[in-house]
Amino acid sequence: MKRKTFVTLSLVPAIGILASLALVSVAGAVWFALMNRTLRSSDYEFVGAYNFLRLLRDKRFFNALEISAIWEVVTVTGTLVLAVLLAVLIYETVKKPLWRNLICFAFLVPVLLPRVAAAFIWRFLYSPSLGLINYLCGLVGIGPVEFLADPSLALISVAIVDIWQWGLFFTVILLKLMETLPRDPIEAAMLDNARTWEIHAYVTLPMLKAPIISLALVKAVESLRSFDLIFVMTGGGPGTATETLDLYAYQMGINMGGRISYASAMSILLLIVTTVVFTIIWKAGKKWAA
Amino acid sequence: MKRTSLLLGTALCALAAQAQAQQTQAQEACKGAVPTLNVIGQGMPAVTALDAHLSEFNEKWDTEVKITLLGENERRAKARLDASTGAGSYQVLYIDEANLAEYVSADWIYPLADVVPESYDIADFRTDLSNVATVDGTQYFAPFVGGGDVMMVRTDLLEAAGLDVPSTLDELVEAVKVLDAADNGAHGWAARGQRGSGMNVWRWTPFFRAMGGEWLDGDMPAFNSEAGVEATELYTDLMSYGPPGVGTFNWSDAVEAFRGGQVAILIESDVFGPWMEDPSKSTVVGKVGYAPPPDPLPSAGWAHGWAVSKAGAADDCAKTIAGDFVGWATSKEMEQQRLEAGIASDIGRTSTLESEAYQSLVPAEYVEAMLATGPKTDLLIMKSPAWPEIGDTLGLALEEVFTGTRDDIAATLDEAAFFAEDSLMRLK
Repeated sequence: MKRKTFVTLSLVPAIGILASLALVSVAGAVWFALMNRTLRSSDYEFVGAYNFLRLLRDKRFFNALEISAIWEVVTVTGTLVLAVLLAVLIYETVKKPLWRNLICFAFLVPVLLPRVAAAFIWRFLYSPSLGLINYLCGLVGIGPVEFLADPSLALISVAIVDIWQWGLFFTVILLKLMETLPRDPIEAAMLDNARTWEIHAYVTLPMLKAPIISLALVKAVESLRSFDLIFVMTGGGPGTATETLDLYAYQMGINMGGRISYASAMSILLLIVTTVVFTIIWKAGKKWAA
Repeated sequence: MKRTSLLLGTALCALAAQAQAQQTQAQEACKGAVPTLNVIGQGMPAVTALDAHLSEFNEKWDTEVKITLLGENERRAKARLDASTGAGSYQVLYIDEANLAEYVSADWIYPLADVVPESYDIADFRTDLSNVATVDGTQYFAPFVGGGDVMMVRTDLLEAAGLDVPSTLDELVEAVKVLDAADNGAHGWAARGQRGSGMNVWRWTPFFRAMGGEWLDGDMPAFNSEAGVEATELYTDLMSYGPPGVGTFNWSDAVEAFRGGQVAILIESDVFGPWMEDPSKSTVVGKVGYAPPPDPLPSAGWAHGWAVSKAGAADDCAKTIAGDFVGWATSKEMEQQRLEAGIASDIGRTSTLESEAYQSLVPAEYVEAMLATGPKTDLLIMKSPAWPEIGDTLGLALEEVFTGTRDDIAATLDEAAFFAEDSLMRLK
């Protein structure tokens, strides 16, 4: 058997299973989206594009779209900025391998926590009357701050938990990548009397451009799946201040009216938007990394 | 006369013996036929207390009872999804007043008398709870907890401020303001703010009803009336005397704040009264007074209980075992065992309320308040299958007002009513 045939035959079953799983669920969602199915009744009929047209008149849908976009930008940017800053800081200040490894181990703990557990811990930390953060704020004369009940603070407060979980994990990855970089360009920059920040800004980080882009994409995909974190911490509230698209689809389809056709239409639109946006970002990223 | 009595007695004995024989027959036929009995529940004391006794039931039917515990909103969503899609993963469902109409109209659950053996004495369930569990004369779930509202006040703080227990709404508002302003370490008030038909809407509804509000005007939603606006204004105003974050409080947050000593006055479901007297969890034991909600506030009647799912228990044995579980879990014996374990909050049976064991566990003032609240208690929510959707939409609107996202109350309620119109139309 030729190598190419062997590779093809090995891949076909896995790709076949993945494709059929994806296609069946997408086809099911499209079918639901074209009906007026609700959970309350087994009767339904074909309504064509009604659900999609109704979405275009739904203010709450556009609010959810906006919140989702803000969530993506804040969590991806915040995670990467935190990871880069901490990785550089540890790289420059902690030289002993043992200490570095201990710090890396500690930084892995948050991402190993189940999202729901992390959400509950932080919900308690944020509590205006019993939480540690508000206690510390009180010591410096601030607050009590309603982190999760104030519409202007709720989204950023939840985003901080996401950044805490993933930023520390990405710090470990970046730190390990920095340790594998060739020393010659860095030493050359040092001989040219470059300052520390200049070495990282112009030498080490540009060398890590491709992995950082990959990390950004991984985080962007992961951020789309933050339903559990937001659901436990705020349930989408106060009001609709933290209601992302997946949360709104859940509220519409299961929690509220049981309008599963409407929720399916929302999911299809979300699928289309994310596919288009991610394809554009992926192509731009590849061009930039080249 | 004697002969008639004798004949009647003999007939009753024969009927009882026949029922017993039928039950034994069913037990023999179905023992081991259902390896797992799946139950969806909510973490109320009556549910978690079952853990200690499950082996007894498992042995009886050679089955394994698995209880999935979820938060209130999640439990409602999951049970509804399971029943509506016909998935039938759960044989026993946890039902409450808010979704009963929907479950009955969609034919998702069996009438209670069709599944629970007579030996469990259905007639002994508290009348107020059975009424909530009944649609068109048929009872659908076996209640194990429920009741109405009770006002809980910190008597020590009231006394220090020279105030009496409020008996009118005006007095309540005045007392809340005075107690909040006093240097006593407590906020004047707490209430549910988090969205949900069973959350903020539940607690807001007595205020709405007290203002003369009606849910419907003919077939059209009418909660955006003047009464709705006034109730929301007052509720929002009272929340400004609550602990930080009260705008998104659920019932647990409100109750914990009160028994943590942070709140002076709380109107909540009467089931939480005994929670205040638990020395292991409450810092206000012996400092709490109980009274009916001040006039003209009515009391929101509610009940939670077990029902058997038609999708989950489609075959005879599943139906038999699920029905027996419902009867067993809500039996007189189970309630007495709970009392022995010190759990006095969840009472579904009249015989338990009348028992010495119960009366020795709760303050006499609490029982008096419960009895005085009885005549004011009614099911205050909209009795419609569309209620979960309408209630949740209204809850979202109220949360937006409570947290300051929106300040035009009339416009916010108009929007919720517009959505409700759509929900009601879909019913037709």
